[in-house]
Amino acid sequence: MAQNGKATTEKKTFSRTTTVATDIHVDTVIIWKLLTTASDYPRWNSTVISVEGNIAARQKIKLKSTLAPKRTFKLEVKEFVTDERLAWGDGQGTRLYTLVKKDNGVITFSMTEKIGGFMFPMYAKYIPSFDQSFEQFAADLKKEAETIQNSTR
Amino acid sequence: MTIELFNEEFKGVSGKLKSYLLRITASMHDAEDIVQDTYIRASEKLHTFRGESSLKTWLFTIASNLAKDNLRAQKRWVENVTDICREEAMGNQEFFREAIHISATSTQGAFEIKEHITFCFTCISKSLPLEQQLCLFLKEVYEFKVNEIATIIDTSEAMVKYYLHTGRAKMTNVFDNRCALINKEGVCHQCSELNGIFNPKQKFQEEVVKIEMAREAGSADKEHLFDLRMKIVKEIDPFESGAAHLQLHHLDHNRNVMEKYV
Repeated sequence: MAQNGKATTEKKTFSRTTTVATDIHVDTVIIWKLLTTASDYPRWNSTVISVEGNIAARQKIKLKSTLAPKRTFKLEVKEFVTDERLAWGDGQGTRLYTLVKKDNGVITFSMTEKIGGFMFPMYAKYIPSFDQSFEQFAADLKKEAETIQNSTR
Repeated sequence: MTIELFNEEFKGVSGKLKSYLLRITASMHDAEDIVQDTYIRASEKLHTFRGESSLKTWLFTIASNLAKDNLRAQKRWVENVTDICREEAMGNQEFFREAIHISATSTQGAFEIKEHITFCFTCISKSLPLEQQLCLFLKEVYEFKVNEIATIIDTSEAMVKYYLHTGRAKMTNVFDNRCALINKEGVCHQCSELNGIFNPKQKFQEEVVKIEMAREAGSADKEHLFDLRMKIVKEIDPFESGAAHLQLHHLDHNRNVMEKYV
């Protein structure tokens, strides 16, 4: 998986998987706090309109995205491993965030979303591409996290 | 360190400690109690102080821990605290009678816009998550370094940076949206309203232009305006200023309202 902030999408008959990864020069806790503080998302993430709820294990959250601004996605937090893995999703798909610390201290952030199911071929064409939104999400996260890390105030 | 030297140094820090505690608790009595408790706790544990941090940092650490025990049990205030408390005050004649009496009789009863800006900051900062509020005051007002704040609130430097960044961002936006001193569309005009009550002969606009933050409002960005606001907060000691009595009375009112509201 390339850590260049470029999204890739793999299409199959019954599913579609989009992934993006980027290297971020920060302490893991900063990324983790940004990913798990629901109310703060709209401030730094231009792909998110709002996130309501508590991003914690098995909690329910409501997310509005710029990709589908009229829809509110009701999601459940499916994985919550502090500083390592976060996943949320619904019956149609799951989004997974991972943080991996390299030997040089740089964090590789990745975000993968797999959507699909038996009915997927019928509605697949109505679901917009996630690529641009994923790239923007990763770029916003990298910018905000590195701004915090490098702040001298 | 000898107890005599400790006592002397404590005296030098206690004023700042007390104002810090007032700003995070919004309670004069809690602030005074925690200063006392900090003195007792520190003098009992003086033999454990090895000078790895400054005495000031050590005392702020003890005081912050004592305050956090108390504050964690309380709910945080809301961003529009001043709107809610204004409504309550409008229906509370006793509050205004007391305030007018303080204004007329106390040597610390003058109403000043800068003092109100500081008071307003204290109230709204209580809508931040506790760690963000502590970091913001410790850095912006009490001038601790990031590594010292990490010691005081017992977290990593990265987390302090996160709390500072997010706390500043939130407060900057709250004031940018609310404060009519810096934004013509701002919804809060309380300092002009109160100035009209307590200083009826004063021309508000003439007073406002004496304040750098208000003067620069049309040309400076919101980050710079926030820095100028923090400069005002830093310059005012809420216990020693010329408006201390009046503002502490007002703070007491707001705390009582918020305790019922949140």
